[in-house]
Amino acid sequence: VKIVVCIKQVPATGADKRYTDDLTLDRASVDAIINPLDEYAIEQALRLADAGIADSVTYLSMGPDQAAEALRRALAMGGDDAVLVTDAALSGADEWATARVLAAALDKLAPDVALMGMASDDARGSLVPGAVAAMRDVPLLSYGSELQVADGAARVRRLSATGFDWITAPLPVVATVTDQVGEPRYASLKGIMAAKRKPLETWSLADVGLSADELKGAALTVVTDARPPEEKAPTERIENLPAAEAATKIADWLSARKLI
Amino acid sequence: MSNDILFLAEFAAGTPARSALELATGAAELASQSGGSAVALAYGSGAADGAAALGAHGAARAVVLGDEDRPAITYAPALVAATRDAGMALLAPATPNGRDLAAAVVGSLHVPAFGPVRAARVVDGVVETEQATLQGAVVTTARPVDGAPSPSVVLVLANTFTPAEGGSGSAEVSQAPAAGDSALTRATVAESHEAEAKVVNLEEASIIVAGGRGVASEEGFAPLRELASALGGAVGASRAAADAGWIPYQLQIGQTGKVVKPALYIGAGISGAIQHRVGMQTAEHVVAINKDPDAPIGEFADLFVVGDLFQIIPALTDEIRRRKGA
Repeated sequence: VKIVVCIKQVPATGADKRYTDDLTLDRASVDAIINPLDEYAIEQALRLADAGIADSVTYLSMGPDQAAEALRRALAMGGDDAVLVTDAALSGADEWATARVLAAALDKLAPDVALMGMASDDARGSLVPGAVAAMRDVPLLSYGSELQVADGAARVRRLSATGFDWITAPLPVVATVTDQVGEPRYASLKGIMAAKRKPLETWSLADVGLSADELKGAALTVVTDARPPEEKAPTERIENLPAAEAATKIADWLSARKLI
Repeated sequence: MSNDILFLAEFAAGTPARSALELATGAAELASQSGGSAVALAYGSGAADGAAALGAHGAARAVVLGDEDRPAITYAPALVAATRDAGMALLAPATPNGRDLAAAVVGSLHVPAFGPVRAARVVDGVVETEQATLQGAVVTTARPVDGAPSPSVVLVLANTFTPAEGGSGSAEVSQAPAAGDSALTRATVAESHEAEAKVVNLEEASIIVAGGRGVASEEGFAPLRELASALGGAVGASRAAADAGWIPYQLQIGQTGKVVKPALYIGAGISGAIQHRVGMQTAEHVVAINKDPDAPIGEFADLFVVGDLFQIIPALTDEIRRRKGA
């Protein structure tokens, strides 16, 4: 079983994030990390490797040159090799373009399981996995709190409205996992040293068989305005009051807003 | 190109999801701006019988993709066939099922994708959307590039639109066109496990009382349930409370749980970490109750009550019951 984990480099949680003058995300001026939810996909893949189920774990990312740092960090956690798809024509890529590029790279890597995190910190559309599955015409197993692979099929444990289901499909599949798969492992010093010697290839758009024309300027969408959120009214505070008096004040506040 | 506004209408156990009613009204609003009609794309158990009734909330027509209880993603080929060249925009709920199906349309038809959005409108013949991004640090306005293919796929947060009620209209129902063969239909449910306790769908609640680490135990949620019941709302939780096993994961609010947009959110014993905040920051009114006067939630709540939730919440429940005369 061959697993490819798709990861994204994102601005660090809590970093001062902004858009540049051309209305794309300013990725140069902030600390970058592996998208935290992708670390769970890495952990799930490595658990399958530890259990002898996965024969190889490859990391795939699309991004600027510095996204190679995220791939090295992933390799320090474990796994075998990594591929970075980077190209000037990909600057400002939207979800459709990202899915197109990842799908093309996955066609070339031909994994049994293409594994992804459930969402990214910076965009939150969660559309890339399903779009990749549709583009590659393979089944989608999404939002798994656990992924199992056996007998030519994969299955995920997924919350349902009333409990949970195991949803299964024949390989190859695209799968996404949640933060319930288990806490991501830390990279050991040995892992960090070993990662430096693991193969990391860089592919251009042409290497995955796509032209800049096919990517239509890397986006079907355009951001026309980016602004800070509306100023909210200052927080009202209730402190140092006995519970009954605090309760009366809260109820008054709710009544004034027709909430009770 | 048709000016119709399509929307995804999920059915389960014979009834439409609240998102279907909200999007029916939202699609009708956009259709009045585009000069087209609101068209439901209905799937899931009960869709065949229930689709016509979406007319009461704004749908002019309804296309039934299928009526069985099976993984939502398996409806993707029928959805793609019904969506191809069929409208200006497709609205989908920003839920796991809605995202999976919307993504399949984006990947199959190579059309623009937006969201999750908190507002949408038609401007100069295309859909324009508003979205909080970068964990709420930036609000962006976006639209399709010139010449982009249709429809634009738009993920819509719960409670972005309020369902119109009292309409007597009936949507004209038809069956989906034949779908091509697709590997997306190969996902099946191998096992189904029911939870011990019945859980509500938090995305549909207009009032939520949420508990976090400060609730301290499973029993600690009892006063929160009482308050929720007095307010006519539902109980939710932070990831810490769900991880501790005090409450089912279906009730977790946040980046990896439900994204909710209630009229009133009351957070008790919740510090307000960014991962929780992105799940509730679009609530209309936020009340926080916390012992810690410096809890981060105090910085973005509308009303911050510093004190012991185990004293304040029962007192508030009594006060609300008294005022409601119950």
